[in-house]
Amino acid sequence: MGFEVSLRMSDQQAQMELSGDLDASSAGKFKEMVELAATRAPKRLVLMMSELRYMASAGLRVLIFAKQKMGTAAEIFLVGAQEGVLQTVMLTGFDRSIVLLDELPDTLAWNG
Amino acid sequence: MEARTESFPGTLDSLRAIGAFTLQAAAEAGIGAHASYRLRLAVDEVATNIIIHGYTEAGRTGQLILSVYTSRDSLLIEIEDTGAPYDVESRRLPTEEELARPLEERPVGGLGLFLVAQSVDAFHHESVGPKNRTILAIHYHQAQQERGEST
Repeated sequence: MGFEVSLRMSDQQAQMELSGDLDASSAGKFKEMVELAATRAPKRLVLMMSELRYMASAGLRVLIFAKQKMGTAAEIFLVGAQEGVLQTVMLTGFDRSIVLLDELPDTLAWNG
Repeated sequence: MEARTESFPGTLDSLRAIGAFTLQAAAEAGIGAHASYRLRLAVDEVATNIIIHGYTEAGRTGQLILSVYTSRDSLLIEIEDTGAPYDVESRRLPTEEELARPLEERPVGGLGLFLVAQSVDAFHHESVGPKNRTILAIHYHQAQQERGEST
């Protein structure tokens, strides 16, 4: 299944919808979107993951890149990740630096 | 043991087809969703390493030949390539301390191999002559235990 990513931005928040399979052949697309979002220096990166079926280490490296690019003060949220993706995030300790949520809370809901 | 073999070009465009091949093998062997995901992840990470380091960065071209073997106890996937030899033993996996660090302080290397080691029940790699061979295995009884625990 192909990988798709879309972005919408407000002053404070970059929100992306990810779907399909995120592997080394598609991670470049995700990285480009992160670079684009980082130019607006958002305080939060919210990644909607419920339609993402698969994520390889190439996806994890983009998350490291996002944190480096957006600065340590910027928070990253993963929302609704499927079990396999979640296992990978936790196995590699990324859950210590990233907030994992089942659903998008009202405080982060899009109001732009 | 029965075998099924398929050949894929050594480019990143092949990863999707390699993933589909692996998931089909897992489905035919009757292993559950969690173990299937782990196997696909391990095969994908190994294939990515071969394509990037063994072929592209080494200026070589070639194929990845994947073979599936099923026995009473295990599902094995063998990946054969003719890329630059890859010394698994010399690769350092991230330590517990590194995995606990904030993302921005993380080394980016070693994550793929770490996931391979964590995802399958057995992992073997060897280079003989011009060929490299990697074997990944899922043991049925461990996959079944996982399924039992998750229900």
